Order: sequence, then C-alpha cells, then structure tokens
Amino acid sequence: MGDSTIVVGISVLYLGACLLVGMWPRKQSASADGYVAGDRSLGLVVMYFITGATIFSAFAFLGAPGRAYEKGAYAFYILSFGTLGFVPFYFIGPRAARLGRRFGFVTQAEMVASRFRMPALAGAMALVSALAFVPYLTLQMQGSGYVLNAVTRDAVPRWMGGLIVYAVVLAYVWRSGVLGVGWTNTFQGMFMLALAWGLGLYLPYKLYGGVGPMFARLAVEKPEYLVPPGPTSSGEPGSWGAYSTDILVSIIGFSFWPHLFMKAFTARDENTLRRTVVLYPTFQFFLVPLVIIGFAGILFASAPEQPDQILPHILMNVELSPVLVGLFCAGALAASMSSGDAIAHAAGSILIRDGVVTALGKRFDPARERFLIRVTLTGVMVLAYVIALLGADDLVALLLYAYGPITQFAPVVVAALYWRRATGTGVFAGLVAGVVISSILKAEPAWRPWPLHEGIYGMVANVAILVFVSLATQRQSDWDREYLEVAAGGGGGLSAAPSAPPSASRPRA
Amino acid sequence: MPGPTPRPVPLPHLLLGVYVAACIACMTWPVYAQLGARIEPRVLGLPFSFAWVIGLMVATFAVMCFYHHATTRRG
Repeated sequence: MGDSTIVVGISVLYLGACLLVGMWPRKQSASADGYVAGDRSLGLVVMYFITGATIFSAFAFLGAPGRAYEKGAYAFYILSFGTLGFVPFYFIGPRAARLGRRFGFVTQAEMVASRFRMPALAGAMALVSALAFVPYLTLQMQGSGYVLNAVTRDAVPRWMGGLIVYAVVLAYVWRSGVLGVGWTNTFQGMFMLALAWGLGLYLPYKLYGGVGPMFARLAVEKPEYLVPPGPTSSGEPGSWGAYSTDILVSIIGFSFWPHLFMKAFTARDENTLRRTVVLYPTFQFFLVPLVIIGFAGILFASAPEQPDQILPHILMNVELSPVLVGLFCAGALAASMSSGDAIAHAAGSILIRDGVVTALGKRFDPARERFLIRVTLTGVMVLAYVIALLGADDLVALLLYAYGPITQFAPVVVAALYWRRATGTGVFAGLVAGVVISSILKAEPAWRPWPLHEGIYGMVANVAILVFVSLATQRQSDWDREYLEVAAGGGGGLSAAPSAPPSASRPRA
Repeated sequence: MPGPTPRPVPLPHLLLGVYVAACIACMTWPVYAQLGARIEPRVLGLPFSFAWVIGLMVATFAVMCFYHHATTRRG
C-alpha cells in the first residue's frame, strides 16, 4: 500500500467519523431556535469543545507555526491574547443568555438591535459579519485543500480536497444545525488536542533531540527569534507598539465574534457558560506545541514557499510513518472543519435572522425560517468555495478588511448590556466611526500617528462618539430599564414567560 | 436630594480587575519588555520569554478558578 493511499485512507476514515457524529439524530425542536441555538440545551463538555474548536481554525495548524517560523517570539502574542480574550465573556455571556432566554434572541445583532429598537443596526452588523465570514470560510477551505494536496504529494488536487471536506461539513450542518456543529467539534477538539501535543513534542525530539536542545541551539544561532517582539517579515527588529496593541485589540474583540458570541444562547444555564470560560485556557495550551513546531522550522534544513506551510513542509521532508502524516492531515482538517462549520452556520443564521427578519421586518413560520437559514448557509459556502477555486487572493484580501471591524462590535455590545444612557443613534454613530477609521488606517498605515494597531484608533473613536452622541440624544423609554434588569438577572417588570421585545424584532416562534 | 449611595465593589471583583490589569501589563510593553523579554534563565528548556507567557496562561486559569469558586452561590 502506497504512502499516499494510507494518508488518504486515514483522512477518509476521519471524515466518515465526522459525518457519523454530525448526522447522528438528536432531539431538536423544529423551530429556527432549535436549529440555531440547540434549544439552549448544551452542557459543559460540548460547550467547552464548541467554543475551543470554533476559535481554533486552520490557522492553528498552519498560521501559528508559520508565525513562529517567520517572526519568532512575535508568535507569543497569539498565546497572550487568548489567555485573557475570553474573560469578558464570563460577564457578558450570562447577560446575553438571560436576554436570549427571555426574549428568544439567538444572535448578537438581534439582541443589540432590540435594546435600541433599531433594525438598521442589526442589518449593519449582519453585513459586516457576512463580509468577514466569507473570506474566513474561504481560507478554511483553502487550508484543508492545501493540506490534503501537500501530504498526498499532489495525489488529491486542492479543489477536490476542499470540495470533499466541505461537502461533509455542509451535510452535517444542514441536517443537525448547531447540535451537529457542537458534537463534531467535541470529537474534532479531542483529536486536535492529542495531535498537537503529539507532534509538538515528537518533531523537536526527532529533529534536534528534544525541545530543550532545540531552543539551546536557537539561543546560540538565532537568538533574535527568541526575544519578543521578534523580527519582522523582512528581518528588521519588530515594534513593541505593534506587538502590544495587537494583543490589546485582540483581547477586546475576542468575545464579540458573532459566531462565538452566539454560543451564549446555546448553553444549558449560566453556570455552564461561566465554567466554559474558566476552563477555556486549558484549550489555549494546545497552541503551545504548535508554536514550538514553528521554532523547529527555523533551524530546519530547507524552507517552504510560504511561512504558513512550515508544518506540512517539515512532515513531508523527514522520514515519518505515513500513519503519522495521515493523523496530522486529519488533525489539520479537524481544525479547518471545526471553525468552518461554525462560521457557515453563523453566516446563514445571521443573514436570515438579523439581515432579513430583524432588519427588513420579514416574517416566516419557524419551518420556513429554518429552511431559509439552511439555503443561505449553503449559498455562503458555495460562494466561499468559488472564491477559493478561482484563487482570487486579491478578493480575499479585500474582504478580510471586514475582519478588523468586527472588533468594533465590542463597545456596541457592552453599551447595550450595561449602559442605560446609551442610545441607538449613539451606538450606530460610534460603530460607523470605528469601522471607517480602522478600515482607512488599515488601508493607509502611513496615516497612523503612532505605529499602533488600527483597531485601537477605531476603538477610541467608537467609544468617544458613542458616549458623546448618546449623551446628546434623547433618553429612551422604560424599555431600557426593563431590558437591563433582565440582563442583570432581575425580573425587569416583565412577565416571567418568554416574550417579545417592542419592535426591532420578529414575533417569537 | 442626594442619590443612592454607590455599593462598594465586592472584593473578588476588585481583585480580578487588578489581576487583569496586571496581566495585560505583563503581556505588553513595558513590563514584558523589561522583565520577561529575555532568553535566560531557561525554564524546562524553554526560553524565559516563552515560559513567561505560559506562566501567565497558567496563572489566569488559576485566578479564574478561584474567582468562579468565590463568586458562585452554592445551593
């Protein structure tokens, strides 16, 4: 049996197992709430893996080692921001969950738009999210296609690898919604953790006699790679301003990614949500061995074409069992799929719930709404695949501009959940200012007064305008008080039974 | 007429806030640059700069465990 056959065989077995886990029938209500939020029934184990595996994408197996290989200690920023990034969710997650349970929210934007009774806000957030999700999904597809192609030495073309992997994803997301995402992520998460630690310890041992001897050599031969902020891509010393603000912006924006935030509405109870956040750093440790592999690449005899290819490059250029290569391939596919499924599911949910139902005021019966979400997520996946197929890297780079503005959701959500005096006009103006400024400074880095992350400038403008305009515009009605009391765990003067908030939201199923 | 007296911040909340601020300082300039950004002494074979970041991950996990334990009502 040839090596490629073994690698392909292991990958096919892995995809089959994912399909089985994802398609396994589970009790789920027929409503869109069941499909999008799993009837708010997920326990700690699934919540732990669904959040962890959602966060760790193909970037974990390709990008993280790539950063360490290219920029050395700069890669520590990935470990740093993840350490604190989920902590805000400990506080905002339960607030969102209470509101969701009371008013039937299943997405971040409909929760915010309802507070301010501003459908346009949901539309704007849905648009920005969709623009960010498509290239993100494209990158996941490209990553899975690349890995399959590389480890089979071109036996599986990239277009076919991405197609097969994401056909599996589409099948279980279509059928099982967030429950399919949750249970496959549990399976995939365990697989990723085992593979990352196995490879991270084994490769340095195989190449240099261990992690310690490897870093001892690096300390002598390439010491500049071990001291943060590390060198830039061109080999110049990195900037502490950029390193520090990369961490700050990422910490602030981390919890507000729509596909991650939505998981607040899926948890069984508040304590489950809090314990998920407490346990999250144990998932974060999984990046440590992958960063170590990147350092192993610095001393490696040959160089890949792109830094992000360093891990498969090492695997294909040392004498390794094809079984181990096949397992790596399955691990990388797990990382790609466990983010891709959550993104596709979130994209369909957000475009229909926020874009069509909340922003445009269209109303559907629950079965129809669920069908539309399924069709939309399929459309998003097809679009992302076509972009990947065309190799439209310029288009991907352009769309990735939307990736940055997502962090500008942070002040909007915090104001909605905590600040009674905030007004819809204020948060909308702040959001627009933050998105515009961060996007401009991303496109024109020379216009930044200091070498800081563009998101910092956007965030300062966002908060300042949000506060100023909110204070200058009219205070809203008692609805603000009631909304915030429910968020804080009080009765809010509303009936205990689930109810619909005034306007800016669809009637409950 | 004076408004309601603000409630004091509970001690666990205060300590968590202080920890988060200190942790951010330790991850970024200037604290990390001054104290953590060096190779020696190596810890379990890792450069000190790397071990420093992993130490913060461990510390954050421990702090969140303590905070959760201290603030969750037991039934």
